[in-house]
Amino acid sequence: MKKKSNNLYLGDRQPLNTMGKIGLGLSYMVLILWTIAILWPIYQMVMSAFNGMQQEYIIMNKGFEFSFDHFTFLFEETLYPKWMLNTIFISISTAIITLLFVSFTGFAYSRYRFKGRKASLMAIMIIQTIPSFAGLTAYFTMYSIISDVLPFFNRQMMLILIYSAGGIAGNTFILKGYLDSISMELDDAAKIDGCSNLKVYKLIILPIARPMLAIIALWSFLGPFMDYLLPKVILTNPEAYTLAAGLFTLIADKENMNQPAFAAGGLLIAIPTVILFTVLQKQLISGLSSGAVK
Amino acid sequence: MKVLLDNVGKKYEGRENFTLRHIDLEIEDKDFCVILGPSGCGKSTLLRMIAGLNSITEGDLIFGDRRVNKVPSKDRDIAMVFQSYALYPHMTVYDNMAFSLAMRKEPKKLIHERVMEAAKVLQIENYLYSKPSDISGGQRQRVALGRAMVRKPKVFLMDEPLSNLDAKLREHMRVELVKLHKALETTSIYVTHDQVEAMTMATKIVLMDGGKIQQVGKPEDFYNRPENVFVAKFIGSPTMNLIEGKMNGGKFVSDDGAITLNPSDTDAQKLKEYENKPIIVGIRSERFITDNITENTLDCTLDIVELLGKEKTIYAKYSNGTTFVVTIPGHLQFKAGDKYKLVFDKEALHFFDGETKLRIN
Repeated sequence: MKKKSNNLYLGDRQPLNTMGKIGLGLSYMVLILWTIAILWPIYQMVMSAFNGMQQEYIIMNKGFEFSFDHFTFLFEETLYPKWMLNTIFISISTAIITLLFVSFTGFAYSRYRFKGRKASLMAIMIIQTIPSFAGLTAYFTMYSIISDVLPFFNRQMMLILIYSAGGIAGNTFILKGYLDSISMELDDAAKIDGCSNLKVYKLIILPIARPMLAIIALWSFLGPFMDYLLPKVILTNPEAYTLAAGLFTLIADKENMNQPAFAAGGLLIAIPTVILFTVLQKQLISGLSSGAVK
Repeated sequence: MKVLLDNVGKKYEGRENFTLRHIDLEIEDKDFCVILGPSGCGKSTLLRMIAGLNSITEGDLIFGDRRVNKVPSKDRDIAMVFQSYALYPHMTVYDNMAFSLAMRKEPKKLIHERVMEAAKVLQIENYLYSKPSDISGGQRQRVALGRAMVRKPKVFLMDEPLSNLDAKLREHMRVELVKLHKALETTSIYVTHDQVEAMTMATKIVLMDGGKIQQVGKPEDFYNRPENVFVAKFIGSPTMNLIEGKMNGGKFVSDDGAITLNPSDTDAQKLKEYENKPIIVGIRSERFITDNITENTLDCTLDIVELLGKEKTIYAKYSNGTTFVVTIPGHLQFKAGDKYKLVFDKEALHFFDGETKLRIN
């Protein structure tokens, strides 16, 4: 009897037959191509960001010479540091406002029965389907009304308001779902132990929901980094631009064209997000997995 | 502390009918009162109303001499053990137990003493600094008890605390709980659907069904003198044998006329006025006699014989198709397929009114 030693196993199953092996090969090929499709642009970005011989077009690249020229250009010739600060300010404000409101709305929807609970949840869900860009005229009207009443209300604050309003609506659902999976008996036990409603929330529910809150904070923080459209439309002054809107000026027209600087700027954007991910890593993983298992 | 429920009722918002209504109950100080009933009978709702977790729609709830209908849970001087234990997952065992005292701003030293005392009684000293997720189910159960104990509450509420434990541990904890109840000298109210727990632990059983109290009393009353057909069927395993029929000439005759039984003299007195009225007669499985008596006998074929060790359960079939459940000591030889003469013990017959389902004798 000939013993087959070249059997391929996927987990604890029957060995793969010929078709299975071909399928596996194809799967790997797709995955590899996909990886290349993702990694190639990143490689290009990193290379051109550090390439001193790079002119204003990334494509017309002859040779490589390591330098920080493009970064120097970014910080000295453009408003990049200002944009960075703007973005971080908008992101942090959005994250804080979203978190503050969502933690209360999620708790209320999960724990209390009140008139219009179902209707308002439905309304939130339906409103989610309308892209925020569709409300542009409304935003301008709202902005002019608010800034009439409160003169210090600038366009950046309007942007924060739009981001956090959207975030509150969407994340209320997510947090409600997560809190629903926490047994109500915990609330009861805490109440008998002497907690008021607010203390139940603060001392019992909030610590348990922390992983989910970390995820919500991260998402709302990253939102303004990713968004180009709203800041471009709502912010009129380049001084007030966010990174996405600001960097686009470097590739938008012939006069200011500097594609390598754009690449360098893009690379730098990653820094705060990477830091945030590292800090929240433990919370995020436990949040994702516990949410999935329950 | 004495707990008194006076005509208490509960209607959940948005429901047409009352979940519970006309509940009158008196639980004496230091009673171990078990509220027993099938699922959905309203027993948990009743306990949650006593705990203050559900509002009371009508009636009065009185602790000692204070009406506590509107008093929040934390001011009722109660502690509760939940079915899921409801331990705070982010706190250590010690913090879980200390939480209620810490909430009341008790001094740290007192908290420490009380927690240590409870931990010693419950033998959980070794994992006071573990998280609830790192300890076993039985240990969690003890922590939940400990958390309730440290407060030294006047009323101790338990909502099916043993239902998540395995059979052996449950048996053990039953004894522990009774010991604990005696040591703490509090009033305990315990909700369960398990009649064994009720019979073994209670000083007073409250059996509920369909939002009403069916019977209140001592465990032995429940077994020996069930007040209605529901109680008779619910208490006791195997279930009591019940036959529907009529009184005819001082004798009980089953509906199809196949079974005729003579009641005892005292029972016959009480049954006089039920002549020609529907009657249900019941007999516990262990009250059949195999002696040679000629009265109240039925010739049965043994259908199935189950050996349970100390006893055998026999399903005996009578010629009209009725099956009787009989229990006999395990060492007696009975085989399926044999024919035997079953004798009803006259003194152990339970008679119920066929219409009202209430006990007659």
